[in-house]
Amino acid sequence: MDLYLPIAEMSVNAPLLIALGAVVGFISGLFGIGGGFLMTPVLVFMGIPPAVAVASLSSHVAASSFSSVTAYSRRRMVDFRMGGILAGGGIVGAFFGVEAFRVLRLLGQADLVVAVSYLLFLGVIGALMLWESLGTILRRRRGETPQPRRDRRPILLYALPWKMRFPKSRLYISVIPPIVLGVFVGVLSAIMGVGGGFILVPAMVYLLRMPASVVVGTSLFQIVITTALTSVLQAGRNQTVDIVLATLLLVGGVLGAQLGARASARFRAEELRALLALVVLLVGLRMGLGLFIQPDDPFVLVSGVG
Amino acid sequence: MAIAQPPPQPPASVSATLTETDVRVTSGFRGAKISVYGAVFDPSGRPSDVVVVVRGPVQPVRIARKVRVGGVWLNSRPVVFEGAPGFYRAASTRPLGDIARFGQLRKLGLGLDHLAIAAPAERRVETRYGVRDMVVSALGADYYAWRAAVVRLKQTAGLYSADAGGVAFVDRGLFHARVDLPAQAPIGQYTARVILFQDGRPVSDRTLPLKVEKVGMERALYLFAHQRPWSYGLVSALIALCAGWAASRAFRRS
Repeated sequence: MDLYLPIAEMSVNAPLLIALGAVVGFISGLFGIGGGFLMTPVLVFMGIPPAVAVASLSSHVAASSFSSVTAYSRRRMVDFRMGGILAGGGIVGAFFGVEAFRVLRLLGQADLVVAVSYLLFLGVIGALMLWESLGTILRRRRGETPQPRRDRRPILLYALPWKMRFPKSRLYISVIPPIVLGVFVGVLSAIMGVGGGFILVPAMVYLLRMPASVVVGTSLFQIVITTALTSVLQAGRNQTVDIVLATLLLVGGVLGAQLGARASARFRAEELRALLALVVLLVGLRMGLGLFIQPDDPFVLVSGVG
Repeated sequence: MAIAQPPPQPPASVSATLTETDVRVTSGFRGAKISVYGAVFDPSGRPSDVVVVVRGPVQPVRIARKVRVGGVWLNSRPVVFEGAPGFYRAASTRPLGDIARFGQLRKLGLGLDHLAIAAPAERRVETRYGVRDMVVSALGADYYAWRAAVVRLKQTAGLYSADAGGVAFVDRGLFHARVDLPAQAPIGQYTARVILFQDGRPVSDRTLPLKVEKVGMERALYLFAHQRPWSYGLVSALIALCAGWAASRAFRRS
């Protein structure tokens, strides 16, 4: 059953998109990420204009993240205070990111920056996470006791001013690192068309030292706020949100997210991280591959007239 | 007794019509198949050729070239081509080169090789070989490769085509041509130009308007998105949040 998208101005196969939304929604609920880093490349590959894909996607990510964040918050696994601070930084970052992306599109270098960001961030984060989680799994298999967590207090978190209590995360740290992290993720999310969960989750574990139990829920909470705002911004500034496309994706997305959030309880945290790391690494390498392979056609039509 | 002078022959003329003049884009739009029917009126029965050219609304095209820098493929600075129609189809009874001469085709803009597209921003007026006010392109000798790439990429996207047998005479003087609009064809005002050629010269032509427009739900959403973008954004964000909330409620019950 084909459906015409009024903003993208093309027709797509509706059941296929709903199924795609469900698969990405499941992954989103399972790992506590938005899933944008998977969906953006797929949509662009299907021929949807990148600007429309990125903008409509933020709507889908907001929906599926909202669907799973309610599930996490019922189990008291969301640190709203930390999430709010991260989101505050994220909003600032998103404004800068949207403007930077406009300039890059005019210069015709948007494709390059997107490919490099995917290769760099997904590749590095995927490799690091895979290394760490495989190590943990192997140690457990061999029956070794897990290495005692080094409770050396990182100077970055404790020496800076404006300390704040985060009771849910059992932390008393400066608010500067979370804000900086939020801004950084906001910029990246606007440029790469993602929620930024794949960066937030490891950063919260390894940099902010938050307890693993609240990381996923908090990351989703931050993603809901920034993506909902981004979709309003994209619609208002660029008129690139296709409501029909977004609705198709989110119908499958919210259902998949619920199932994913349930399934996540059945896995160990390090197994989930290893799996996510593998997915992240593969997507990053696939997106970066285009930089090194000789293109079929030496010319390419560039979007964004202006 | 022989006639000293042949009687003046009435000029040949062409007339044509489209089976559809208003293509309505609805939620089930998967492209449109339009036929052009027409007739050639020529009592003298001279050999006639018909060319049907359908052009979509003009849209500037931005194109970049992939260049290899340090082992990595990068985009060059994009070049803007003006005057490119969003859709172009030239159908004819014979290959265009057999119907008319190069200059004639160039003047009328018939065929993919003769589309009037140019990159005015790349133009420079300078003195070369002692000749003043020469118009040169900053793209240099590669200009034709760039221009050809625009046409080739549009062809790959299904938006440009040329069909040397696309116009067929179905009966004496009566011809027919098919125009298939793909689903990704741009919205706007199109024109279908039907030109009758005799002895390599255009002797008669007709221009028929064709409109491709969104109707119903598609149109309402498009207008909403462009006329009240901020409300549209708020509505789409609210839909997303409500859907997420509804799903979590539904799953909680079960």
